[in-house]
Amino acid sequence: MNSLKRTYMYIENILASLKFAVFIILVFAICLGFGTIMESSHGTDYANRYIYKSLPFMAIQFCMFLSIVFAAIVRLPPKKHLYGFYTIHAGLIIIFIGSFVTYQSGVDGSIKLNPNAASREVLVSREEFRIKFPSRGKEASIDLPYSASGENLNTNYQGIKLGTFIPFAEEKLEWRPGKEVAPSSRYRIHNDKVSEELFFSLNSKARFGQSRKLGPLNVHYMPNKKQANNKTPVLLLHGKVASYFDKVTKTWVRVTLNENKDTPLPWMGLKLRLLEHHEDIYPEMVPYYVDPVQDNGKIIKGSLRAVHVTIGNHQFWVRSTEPTTFNFGNELVHLEIAKKQLTLPYEIVLDRFKMDLDPGTQTPASFESFVTVFKGNKGSEKHHIFMNNPMKRDSFTFYQASFFPISEELFGSILSVNFDPGRTWKYLGSLLLVLGSILHYFLRRKHKVSNTEFA
Amino acid sequence: MSKLMGLLVLLFTFESFAQLDFCNADLETFPVQAGGRDKPFYVLATEGIRFISGDAKVGTLTATEAFCQLTMKGFGIPSEIQINIKVDHPEVKTLLRLQDDESNIPATSLANKMGLIEAELVRIKENNSYRKELNKVDQRYKTYLAITQGRAWTIPVAKNNTVHFVSAAEFLTKEKVLDATKKSQSPVQYIFEQAKNEYLKVKGDGYLLELKYYKWNLFLWSMLLSLIGIFLFVVLKNKLPGTIITVLSLAVQVSAMAMRVMISGRAPVTNMYETVMFSGFGALVIGCIITLMRKEKAFVIAGLAFNFLTLMMMKFANGMLDPGISPLVPVLRDNFWLSTHVTTVILSYAALALSWVLANSILIRSRFFKIDSKEHRYQVDLIYTCIKFGVVLLATGVILGGIWADYSWGRFWGWDPKETWSLIVLLIYMAILHGKSTSWIPPKRFVPLVAAAFLTVMMAWFGVNYILASGLHSYGFSEGGALFLGSFFLIQILLLLVTTLKINPQAEQFP
Repeated sequence: MNSLKRTYMYIENILASLKFAVFIILVFAICLGFGTIMESSHGTDYANRYIYKSLPFMAIQFCMFLSIVFAAIVRLPPKKHLYGFYTIHAGLIIIFIGSFVTYQSGVDGSIKLNPNAASREVLVSREEFRIKFPSRGKEASIDLPYSASGENLNTNYQGIKLGTFIPFAEEKLEWRPGKEVAPSSRYRIHNDKVSEELFFSLNSKARFGQSRKLGPLNVHYMPNKKQANNKTPVLLLHGKVASYFDKVTKTWVRVTLNENKDTPLPWMGLKLRLLEHHEDIYPEMVPYYVDPVQDNGKIIKGSLRAVHVTIGNHQFWVRSTEPTTFNFGNELVHLEIAKKQLTLPYEIVLDRFKMDLDPGTQTPASFESFVTVFKGNKGSEKHHIFMNNPMKRDSFTFYQASFFPISEELFGSILSVNFDPGRTWKYLGSLLLVLGSILHYFLRRKHKVSNTEFA
Repeated sequence: MSKLMGLLVLLFTFESFAQLDFCNADLETFPVQAGGRDKPFYVLATEGIRFISGDAKVGTLTATEAFCQLTMKGFGIPSEIQINIKVDHPEVKTLLRLQDDESNIPATSLANKMGLIEAELVRIKENNSYRKELNKVDQRYKTYLAITQGRAWTIPVAKNNTVHFVSAAEFLTKEKVLDATKKSQSPVQYIFEQAKNEYLKVKGDGYLLELKYYKWNLFLWSMLLSLIGIFLFVVLKNKLPGTIITVLSLAVQVSAMAMRVMISGRAPVTNMYETVMFSGFGALVIGCIITLMRKEKAFVIAGLAFNFLTLMMMKFANGMLDPGISPLVPVLRDNFWLSTHVTTVILSYAALALSWVLANSILIRSRFFKIDSKEHRYQVDLIYTCIKFGVVLLATGVILGGIWADYSWGRFWGWDPKETWSLIVLLIYMAILHGKSTSWIPPKRFVPLVAAAFLTVMMAWFGVNYILASGLHSYGFSEGGALFLGSFFLIQILLLLVTTLKINPQAEQFP
């Protein structure tokens, strides 16, 4: 018993010591500084996953919490000149509790409102993998981990195996052996200002189409056809040969493409180069992990999420950009990566969205949403939501967040939706922290002055 | 086009206009609308010409004369005026075939090279400093075009007791000029005077306050007074002259800030220029308050010194600190929160700046002059007082920011870089305050640590905007500050090395 007490006293002394406080404060500050650099380079989502909402960071915060608690405990029973100190530490403890309550039970999402259309679905920031069997009306969802690196989900739902989840992905081209003989080609079309790679394949497993539209120019991949009737700006690619209609000579021109040489085209100084052509392998885009890159406030690399799926002998990737439908036995199954949803017990209709501009400029001065909340049999309510004037309904608060254009003069609105059960705790803790700081400052001063007087 | 040509032929028939007599100082008070506000032509012209050329003058012409002549040149009036467009970046200079020592290019020459800039803007995907400068040169040229095409100058048109503004190109019609010829020998001047008078009848001359604000240059006077105040406090034993000058400096600064508030209609803490302005003022006010409490003039001297530095920045660092008054993003249009959260945070930076000034002065005195241990301990206590003010204000400011964020965006804390760095500053100073009671931070380490800790304030204040440059607080973002911040860090680190690395016999006395 004594050894247990001695161990406790030893731990208490460490946790309550000023040196531990200084150490943990500095570790916390360094992590925060690192987090801001991560956010600047890789974006908010990455910084949240990698630092701010990671387990090690939570552990550091917990150590700070312990330091604050034990620093107060060892200074009990209360001493008058430490009233400010106790108030500050009580405030910090309450803020920690409030933050934990918010982290555990809070909701942070958004609702998209189209003009004059009812909506009640709130998209929250966390994501899930959805499996739907439309014919059976059956649906399942698997929470995707909130991590910065790839993870193996290792989940099996009715024969659908979920493997690697990549939270930040880009796609790279891989050539795969195909069972069928079908032409596949890769070209580059470019001029001084633009450059674009084009992939085409007739292989049934390839996910590339056979046509592309580049501005006014239509490009068709037809390796097995030698002619066309279309005389509009059209480029026909026949594998190692290209053809187009020359408006000057009013004839079809056929050119053999060289893998090491650009072939000039008659539009906008464009040039064409054959990069690869194969008959027995086909191209496939495969997601791979990248550290996301943020530039000028936008994610320019790594915004894709992907989950590897195995169904029977078939293996493929489901991407966050589009849902995938698979023929599973005799029924279709829809697979998708999507944000989790929350259904409100009432409907919100955007009656009107108003955007004022600063006089003589195109700079927005205010965004305002005029909405009606329909509560079923209990009637309806009109609300006016704008910046710094949110709408409160039940436990939720709706804030004007953004907007999106539908036509030149018609806009939809995006409201952020928030439920924060830790709010009261955080406000109370903040108040105590500020009052305690003031109290601490003046009490310590009086204490010092009185000491001097006695000295 | 034929309409414009007709007008040009007509304008040439009026000798006074053709000689551009019309473009004179009288135009300074002409009301225009730009950046979402009504303002005097002087402000539009100065901001426009400075943006294009980096200077408020074009040769011997004032900005008002130059702006007017450029606009009229667009109408075909012959003028010798040639404006140069500012180019800073070495790679952009190479692209435009400028010499290293050339920092501008004539607008007429740039016109032929705009294709190069547009092609580069398409080619360069990364938003690096080269691309940013290309964009800036592009914007400068477009502003020049807007002026010469009569689109930048807006003219008030009063109708039914309301005023709307139209561009000079739209306003100056052939019919108007023909009509004015019947009433005046100087028809264009007459038309503009009529427009101004109609505006004054409807909206009054309140907009002219901005002209006084710029012309009176009150911040410059306050800067000179702060310098004189420091001199008087340091040299004279009698505190009265220094006190009078300090009060005078504060009064002048309050007047300038009050004018700015009246013009913008909001608290003066919405961009870098204003936060620098308010921090200097705040440091002086806090310095005066602590001086009164502690009967110690060191605080007011530190306040005057920091105020002088900030006013110097406002005067001479216009590339980094834009003195213009621009519209705010919608979420910031809340005077209550601007006046509480932002001012509290800036005041906390001001209090911490006092500790920084005092810490550096002790470091220099300890290294190069004599300072005994009693004096050293006393000075450490002065720094400690400033830090306590700073920490209390910063904690309050951070919490007020959380409450504002909760009120406006629905979350108390979002790990936004600005709020995170404010927290880092608070944590660093808390670590110093806690560590002061341990053997880790004795007085001899406390002073250099306080001087170094101010680098975190600079990072939160400038670094987030100039280096990290992302997040919800992006409203205050401006460019050109990375060099300033880097220089500040370098000088502070060098000073720390010079004053602490060599074993100082004096320092040995301060355990």
